[in-house]
Amino acid sequence: MSKLANIYVFSDKPSRIRDLIGVATPLGDKVTAIVIGAQPEAQAAAAAGAATIIAIPSQEGVIVEDYAPSIAEAIRGAGAAGLVLLAAGKRGKCLAAKLGAALRAAVVNEASAISLDGGLAVSHMVYGGLANATETISSPLAVVTVASGALEAAPCQAVAGAEIRQGVFVPPAHPIRLVKREAKAGQAVDLAASRRVVCVGRGFAKKEDLSLAGDLASAIGGDVGCSRPIAEGEGWMEREVYVGVSGVMLNADIYIALGVSGQIQHMVGANGSKTIIAVNKDKNAPIFNFADYGIVGDLYKVVPALVAALK
Amino acid sequence: MNIIACCKIVPEDQDIAVKPDRTLDLSKAEPKISQYDLNAIEAAIQIKEQSGNANVVALSAGAAKTLGNSKIRKDILSRGVDSLTLVADDSLEGRLPADTASVLAAAARKTGFDLILCGEGSGDIYAQQVGILLGEMLGVASINGVSRITAGDGTVLVERTLEDEIETLELALPAVVSVTADINTPRIPSLKTILAAGKKPTVTETLDGIGYQAPAPVAAMTSVKAPEQSDRKKKIIDGDSDADIKAFIESIRPELTA
Amino acid sequence: MSDDKFDVIVVGAGLAGCTAAYVLAREGLEVVVIERGNGAGSKNMTGGRLYAHTLERILPGFAEEAPIERRVTREKISFLSDRDAVTMDYQAGDYQAGDYQAGGQAAGRRPATAESYTVLRARFDPWLMGKAEEKGASLIDGIRVSELLTRDGRVVGVKAGDDELEADCVILADGVNSLLGESLGFVKKVTPHHCAVGAKELIELTPQQMRDRFGCEGRDGLAWLFAGMPSDGLMGGGFLYTNETSVSLGVVFGLHNIEAAGKSVPQMLEDFKAHPAVRPLIEGGQLIEYSAHVVPEGGLAMVPKIVGDGVLLTGDAAGFCLNVGYTVRGMDLAIASGEAAAKAVIAAKARGDFSAAGLNQYQTLLNDSVVMKDLTLYRKLPGFLDNPRMFGAYPDMAAGVMADLFTVDGPSKPLLKKAGGHLRKVGLLNLVKDGLKGVTSL
Ligand SMILES: Cc1cc2nc3c(=O)[nH]c(=O)nc-3n(C[C@H](O)[C@H](O)[C@H](O)COP(=O)(O)OP(=O)(O)OC[C@H]3O[C@@H](n4cnc5c(N)ncnc54)[C@H](O)[C@@H]3O)c2cc1C
Ligand SMILES: Cc1cc2nc3c(=O)[nH]c(=O)nc-3n(C[C@H](O)[C@H](O)[C@H](O)COP(=O)(O)OP(=O)(O)OC[C@H]3O[C@@H](n4cnc5c(N)ncnc54)[C@H](O)[C@@H]3O)c2cc1C
Ligand SMILES: Nc1ncnc2c1ncn2[C@@H]1O[C@H](COP(=O)(O)O)[C@@H](O)[C@H]1O
Repeated sequence: MSKLANIYVFSDKPSRIRDLIGVATPLGDKVTAIVIGAQPEAQAAAAAGAATIIAIPSQEGVIVEDYAPSIAEAIRGAGAAGLVLLAAGKRGKCLAAKLGAALRAAVVNEASAISLDGGLAVSHMVYGGLANATETISSPLAVVTVASGALEAAPCQAVAGAEIRQGVFVPPAHPIRLVKREAKAGQAVDLAASRRVVCVGRGFAKKEDLSLAGDLASAIGGDVGCSRPIAEGEGWMEREVYVGVSGVMLNADIYIALGVSGQIQHMVGANGSKTIIAVNKDKNAPIFNFADYGIVGDLYKVVPALVAALK
Repeated sequence: MNIIACCKIVPEDQDIAVKPDRTLDLSKAEPKISQYDLNAIEAAIQIKEQSGNANVVALSAGAAKTLGNSKIRKDILSRGVDSLTLVADDSLEGRLPADTASVLAAAARKTGFDLILCGEGSGDIYAQQVGILLGEMLGVASINGVSRITAGDGTVLVERTLEDEIETLELALPAVVSVTADINTPRIPSLKTILAAGKKPTVTETLDGIGYQAPAPVAAMTSVKAPEQSDRKKKIIDGDSDADIKAFIESIRPELTA
Repeated sequence: MSDDKFDVIVVGAGLAGCTAAYVLAREGLEVVVIERGNGAGSKNMTGGRLYAHTLERILPGFAEEAPIERRVTREKISFLSDRDAVTMDYQAGDYQAGDYQAGGQAAGRRPATAESYTVLRARFDPWLMGKAEEKGASLIDGIRVSELLTRDGRVVGVKAGDDELEADCVILADGVNSLLGESLGFVKKVTPHHCAVGAKELIELTPQQMRDRFGCEGRDGLAWLFAGMPSDGLMGGGFLYTNETSVSLGVVFGLHNIEAAGKSVPQMLEDFKAHPAVRPLIEGGQLIEYSAHVVPEGGLAMVPKIVGDGVLLTGDAAGFCLNVGYTVRGMDLAIASGEAAAKAVIAAKARGDFSAAGLNQYQTLLNDSVVMKDLTLYRKLPGFLDNPRMFGAYPDMAAGVMADLFTVDGPSKPLLKKAGGHLRKVGLLNLVKDGLKGVTSL
């Protein structure tokens, strides 16, 4: 199939707009960026490679999600056919579904592939990453969210003299009131870029013991990541460093799992590593099926010995 | 306050096998409550406990052969909800989110509600959109990513922990809220709640009974395939005696010093 | 919580508990089974061979419907030395492969009560529990009974965390190491001197491999015991049971000898798997599950007090298990004792007397059943078997004789001379002594 006539991109984070335009460019003849704001925001989109920009005037105290009717209106005005690309954060996913409902469009989150052969088809992981499902789109428009780095992005040139159109603000039927907003403290490491990752799982009995993993990481010159329950259940580590289908996808040389059972949702994130090493006291733990090297043993015994031997 | 907690019944992922042609074999996978929907149920129970006078209905749509499983029904009811509403029809197996949301919307309209809680994503297709779609179809406020809920008078105050910020929002009821996996730790059913489950009502609805009308299809799932697995060496040492640990260290040392 | 009072609470959804629940519910009693695992049988382990007789008498023709793996029609016993193996192979010839599927009792076929089947507990126990549920029993799973509820010295229910549940009578079917039985002072704490340990792997094979390696046709299968090397020449042994598309391969070992063995039981299993006679059997197979479990050992001498006011002990919890060295038999006894306990409770209900005296029919029923008869019959067996010659010297001897018999590397020696050397190693007198002891212990 030839390229799509129209692709719309919107990012709630300015940092993602370039990469979304890069994903859009090989897929569509015309890429339109939708921004909230005025000249500065439109210019930034042009600098990131957008040739056409629709700028929706920004409103005091309105959360991004409540711009959904306005964005839908902008897309409707431009033909409402083709593809909408959004950044796959929580806001992006919320917006995607709201746009999908408003425009009767198929919605796919966290696309792992977008293909135009024989019609628009979008793939995403299902069953915790065990498989990829491909959805063939039959609605004229599809709304797709894309995680950073998940799809190949073509390099983009800044566009001089981009066409900037004015959008309109369409108030939502049931506005959500913003009470308070705070920036989150702390900046986590970017594990996707780490060469060596030591991963903490629920085999750790308490937060203080995490220093064991830290020791091993410094002994091998790596970073510490974790399984999802360590970040979300226990709250011992930042959510940004959990590995897996809904977290970070690793590209490391070495990945060492300590007390991680190796559920598929986790392993999908670890499988991109060249060498997988596992320490788990349960011989039946699935992680041993994914490992290059492993030891069936107590991490509290194995890790200190390992650190000592590597010093 | 009438609260609906949406929960999907999904196959136990640990028992899904990959066939040689990389398609999936679900035949050995028993049905279970989708993991993150337990958070939605728990959130509903906690609101009920806080506000004192709420009624919590668990709502699930799916194939009749799955929802007919009495163990699953009992499992849902033993989590503390007041009753269970099922929309059971074999044609609901493998539906995509837009369809699912319209089924749930029809059921919710019939049941009536002030607040609907959804999980972050279903354990099988993890589409992460049914909650929002449902809110839009019902024409009420909806939001996702909620990590705390406080029920007010005709409103709910919710906290969202986003990638780099935390925001507090107020939604007027009725509303649909999708909660995150870390909003709470779902309690484990106890002897008492399991016994009580046997006495709680289950309503089984049909698609006609809830006045469901299928929307025009927007997509079809055309293939489900496991990715190619890279072969691993699987050199596993079974035991953690000093000698075992030594052998383990020696086996990985070349990798670590490379 | 008086409206939640049951007639009977059964603790543990193993075979003993499920059978008791079935028999009780069939008679219309209100029975609830409490199981700590998720579902019946989820945590249960066995070697894999169920002698059908006791269940056949409760649920005739059960194998037609139950998820059994295979019907055992072929038996092998191997004596292993460190590298060699001598194998005896018995194939029951009266009936043909495939009879089973045809159902019923084909000509020349042994009665259903004489059959034995290989089973996997994770499939079999839920089925049996399902039968009990069909009759009206309820299962509460995922809940561990933490304590027995007692009043004036009699058991009146159970506690799980903060929750309490009452019943006229409690049947303890909580398996070996019954902590609840211990709390009553009935069961002695399991000591390493009075138990054996089993370790087992479930290894998946293709249907083709099942056929080629074990001759498994249709639903027929093989039970294979290994003496000697697997238990390092001490009391114990190895087993292999063919399931539908997998084998259960394991070792059993008497823990009192663990120091003499100088290696752990999991290590024994590893070494056993590496034996030249065993390795090719599982080559290319996929390990799907590993488990380890305690086996009550000591036979009749281990049987504790089994009846108290408002309480009965069944199955492994009551020590109803025969460890005959290379193999363990407990499932059929668990079923028989579960049935007997249920019948005693039914009789007690009729009289409205759940005191120890009122429940005492249990003891009588057991005495007349296979449980006590076999435990008595094999009374001295553990002592007889705990003789290193049985597990070390004799298998070595058998292997040695065979090796010589089939080796030609020059002029042959007369047969008696060949055997003679090996006999001398063991000592003829010992052979005779052990032979006599063996006969008298049976
Ligand atoms: C839709 C969905 C998405 C998900 N996404 C993700 C994801 O992106 N990332 C993710 O990680 N998870 C994800 N999960 C959760 C996932 O299914 C598992 O629950 C999770 O990965 C398990 O984490 P764990 O291995 O740390 O804990 P557990 O599964 O509890 O395993 C702990 C392990 O530690 C071992 N252990 C215990 N003590 C010791 C000791 N002393 N020494 C050595 N070993 C020990 C145990 O044997 C066990 O194997 C998702 C789930 C769902 C339903
Ligand atoms: C290695 C090995 C090989 C064997 N091979 C054979 C064989 O080939 N043939 C044979 O006939 N027998 C064999 N046996 C013996 C046989 O497995 C046992 O005798 C039999 O399983 C006993 O059944 P049961 O119902 O008494 O106990 P179990 O099957 O052990 O069931 C006890 C149940 O109680 C539950 N439970 C325990 N405590 C609690 C609690 N506090 N609250 C709630 N639930 C609780 C457990 O989870 C379990 O489900 C073997 C045993 C072993 C270990
Ligand atoms: N068939 C269903 N029945 C009930 N609730 C559902 C169903 N499908 C999805 N949900 C709810 O919607 C949430 C998001 O699902 P999904 O969009 O499929 O990831 C789930 O966590 C459930 O709370």
